[in-house]
Amino acid sequence: MKRLQAVAGQISRVGAIVGGAMLLVASILICIDITLRYTVSITLGGADELSGYALAISSAWGFSSALLSRSHIRIDTVYVRIKSIGGRAMLDLISLGTLLGFFGMVTWYAWGVVWQSWVSDSHSLSAIEAPLVIPQGLWFAGLLFFVALSLLLLVRGLLAFIAGDYNGLFALIGSKSALAEAEEEIAAVAHGLEQEKKP
Amino acid sequence: MTAGVSLVVLLFLLGSSIAVAAGMGLAGVVLNQLYSTMPMSRIAGELTWSTTSNFILTAIPFYIMFGEILLRSGTAERMYAALVQWFSWLPGGLMHSNIGACALFGSVSGSSVATAATIGVVAMGEIDKHNYNEPLFLGTLAAGGTLGILIPPSINMIIYGVMTDTSVPKLYLAGFLPGAILTVLFSLTVLVACVWKPQWGGNKIETNWEMRIKLLPDLLPPLVLLLIVIGAIFLGIATATEAAAVGIVGALAITAQRGRLSWRMLRDVCEGTVRTTAMVVAILVGAFFLNVIIQTIGLTQQLSKLISAYQMTPVQVLWAVIILYLVLGTFMEELSMMISTIPITTPLMVQAGYDPVWYGILLVLLIQTAMISPPFGINLFVIHGIRGRGTLSDVEKGSAPFVIALLTMIAMICVWPDIVMVAVRWFG
Repeated sequence: MKRLQAVAGQISRVGAIVGGAMLLVASILICIDITLRYTVSITLGGADELSGYALAISSAWGFSSALLSRSHIRIDTVYVRIKSIGGRAMLDLISLGTLLGFFGMVTWYAWGVVWQSWVSDSHSLSAIEAPLVIPQGLWFAGLLFFVALSLLLLVRGLLAFIAGDYNGLFALIGSKSALAEAEEEIAAVAHGLEQEKKP
Repeated sequence: MTAGVSLVVLLFLLGSSIAVAAGMGLAGVVLNQLYSTMPMSRIAGELTWSTTSNFILTAIPFYIMFGEILLRSGTAERMYAALVQWFSWLPGGLMHSNIGACALFGSVSGSSVATAATIGVVAMGEIDKHNYNEPLFLGTLAAGGTLGILIPPSINMIIYGVMTDTSVPKLYLAGFLPGAILTVLFSLTVLVACVWKPQWGGNKIETNWEMRIKLLPDLLPPLVLLLIVIGAIFLGIATATEAAAVGIVGALAITAQRGRLSWRMLRDVCEGTVRTTAMVVAILVGAFFLNVIIQTIGLTQQLSKLISAYQMTPVQVLWAVIILYLVLGTFMEELSMMISTIPITTPLMVQAGYDPVWYGILLVLLIQTAMISPPFGINLFVIHGIRGRGTLSDVEKGSAPFVIALLTMIAMICVWPDIVMVAVRWFG
């Protein structure tokens, strides 16, 4: 199961990078669009629509990346006051379970959206008339992957819980303290500055 | 009754440390079961698609990406060195440069955490060299960082604008004057403290006109980006979202000019952007779902009935909202606090007769206050983390005077709403 997660980690990483690249390309398209609009009064059309798709797809795939880095925000005011390790572990499992529950529901109904676009061959109401099933399919795949990953982590968390391996459980799905969160942000900045100092 | 139950359900779910996104979504499911016969859960798919593919919201990843690129471009360090030459002759020395650098960086960044982290890392090395009062020095960085979300562009304003259907450019326009006044208030706080206790102000720093002029070009990149991004919005050349895209390309150009552009750097930027974006979007998905449920069960009307039943005056509503956020802000993560409460407090304030643009700015100021109020203040953690020694309470102590400055600013916009609205009326 560890290997399965390693593979899932790779996939989610690639998903995040490709999603980011889509956003980057979208921003460049928008700049070209603005330039053309104000110089020769031509509009490419569709740059904004495509950016919207890029956001939906990249965030659906990004959910997994955020889950693996334990970045989904939780309010840990109560959590940090619980002394019992087992109690915290329970809360971590419940948290993941509810996340899976809600996004499982979203994904379930998201399938209906994609299916509807497929059977009725829907196109967007715009100049580019994009066949909606393509962006929606990629979006749905991201959601589905997220649900599958949550399920995998939940199973692994439960196994760790049963085995009494709480440290293993926290490393997988524990709530990350705000301080740890802040430290990561700082590390990113410091890394940037180090690059600056290199000749 | 419904309002009370809703609040209890929401607070219980969020308090039990489950992910905020799931907490809000499930609060929606529960309320829907309790108060509505319509199976609203079915809209979850369509709603998620339509909100996350909304072009206006792409401003969120764009501004995050913009910040991620600037972070890696090495602009902050040079900018800081230049500001030191310009501002450190004042009593309090570098602390004014800290605030100025935060204001300037905040004017290109849409995030307070990124602003505090970036300027914090650059400034922290100076703290021992010049014998400053350490808590106050740390306070300038934590508080200065919060300017990131008040001075446009601002990710928080975009989220507020989308959730409440308020014009983002108007919010940006409205944010400038309060941002400038607050920067001055922060600086005044340092000035007063250092005139009162001169030993806090540290050693004098050598500055001269030659250096000031020589380093001026280092202030240019952020200023030019600011002018392009903000100028494009106000001249009507680009929307707030499009301007963010322009910012990305501009930031890439600066990075390339510095020779820092590489595949590796781009890959890190993409990955970081998507991760942060997904975190925000997950919460938005939960919030939009809850928002629809709240509307269908008639919670908003109930709230306004409640106000008229108790014959609350607008001023009383305002006090209630301000106190609510000051209390929530002490223990809640700020972004979650904002997103989870907007659907309830905004209709309340609008019903009471306040302008949604004005309320948006008030909300941002309240969030800024929360960011530097203990025990949970994200900027306190960021600055403490950068310092890497001493106790968190040093940062809390040093931030306290700036909390007072923020409360003063809040009082000012309540007494003179024109501070916020004048720019909107002139240009809007």
